[in-house]
Amino acid sequence: MRRNIRVAALTTILLVPLIVSAPAGWRAVGSAQPAASYTFQGTVRAINARTGTLELVTGVGMSLRLVRMTTAATTRLVATGAALRVGDLKPGDVVRAECRRTAAGLVADRIEKLEVATP
Amino acid sequence: MTGPRVTVALLLVAVSCQKPVKPGDPLPRLSRAERDRFDRGKVVFDSVFTSETGLGPLFNSTACGECHEDPAGGRGDEVEVHATAFRAGAVCDPLVQEGGPVIQQHTTPALKQALGIDEEPFPPSATARAMRTSPVVFGRGLLDLVPDSVLLAYADPADKNHDGVRGRPNRFADGRIGRFGRKGFVPTLREFNAGAFAAEMSVTTPEQPTEEDIGGKPIPTGVDPAADPEITQQALDLADDFVRFLAPPTPATLAKDGRRGRDLFSQIGCASCHIPTLRTGYSPVPALSNRPFAAYTDLLLHDMGADLADICLGLATPADFRTEPLLDLRGAEHFLHDGRATTLEQAIELHGGEGSGARDRFKTLPAADQAALIAFLKSL
Repeated sequence: MRRNIRVAALTTILLVPLIVSAPAGWRAVGSAQPAASYTFQGTVRAINARTGTLELVTGVGMSLRLVRMTTAATTRLVATGAALRVGDLKPGDVVRAECRRTAAGLVADRIEKLEVATP
Repeated sequence: MTGPRVTVALLLVAVSCQKPVKPGDPLPRLSRAERDRFDRGKVVFDSVFTSETGLGPLFNSTACGECHEDPAGGRGDEVEVHATAFRAGAVCDPLVQEGGPVIQQHTTPALKQALGIDEEPFPPSATARAMRTSPVVFGRGLLDLVPDSVLLAYADPADKNHDGVRGRPNRFADGRIGRFGRKGFVPTLREFNAGAFAAEMSVTTPEQPTEEDIGGKPIPTGVDPAADPEITQQALDLADDFVRFLAPPTPATLAKDGRRGRDLFSQIGCASCHIPTLRTGYSPVPALSNRPFAAYTDLLLHDMGADLADICLGLATPADFRTEPLLDLRGAEHFLHDGRATTLEQAIELHGGEGSGARDRFKTLPAADQAALIAFLKSL
């Protein structure tokens, strides 16, 4: 038992810096199952409200990547203090999406539309 | 003497009291450990990658130092191709689904054998093509540390002061303020450096661990033998430190005409965008922390007119460019984002849009004053 606690503590100490230093674009959430859950922050490139699919542009510097995900009936969509529908999002919106990787690909659990100040 | 001039004068006095910094030198006052990281980082920066060590399968260069080679890692003369699509509603599509905005000009032999291509296919959806010279990388660690609040303080998107110069920050894909790259798209030097490994050499890193698609299609099996990530976190950190610690070269001592040119630079409005002095915020590296430095940029986007317009990127429209920092102009043989100008006079002449006022005032100066201003620029 004590050994298990030590192993868990050591694992946490080793993994936390790696997770914290990872870019937001592909940050794995939850060190117990690092491959299961991801948070992406990026710009909406395309959205299909009928199929509930969403494409985000994320990246590091000039190296950009496309992240495809689907929404489910249980996906929570929020803006500043208000609920949203998938159809309320549009290309160019900046969002943070918490996703799970499933056999069918990424499924969003929560999508938050972020307010980007201008200028 | 006005406040900014006093600051510049004090800065120049301070600089003149130190040993001159040559292109490629590290920042003065680095600690021994930081200097060691600079030296070790240069080794990574100059490392030549092969397919077996992570290069490709698409790439623009085989080493950081291939494009930023002269001298000692700061300057370069390569020109690369970028492409994006500017769509209705002023939405900029970086064409990630077709390989992204950086179009790699070379392929490894294995990819050529598999697909029969010599370069990345140009994205069919692109609405514009841009040529980009390799940027100078001196002094980027200082630019990285200028607080966002300073940039926002210089922004004037509605031109409230009616000087014809607006200025606004670009935003990265995740909404953060950008400052690096000719369109000011990338928020931090760290990301610019890490992204360059992936975008220029297709060397995956712990921070960008996946290879780019080829025109939206997966990389053929067997053409990318190195396991991802293809460099270690330590190597990436060292290369980042090398760039971060590269000092801006000390400007040449100004003669009388150069000093006159420096005054004219402000008087005719060049300094509205090319802000002479910026100050860094806090850094754990004392050599970078809370330092005034000669930046000659506001790191903001400005409309430079239709003649220079090429691609959009982030919030930057095709005509928007980030004010180029005027660091190491002495060593430059080509000017502007695509190197189309071969003299400083041509570069000024090509300023349009928000730069047209200063350009026109330059053109009305007597020849001696024009020469004085050019002499000042050549001292940087």
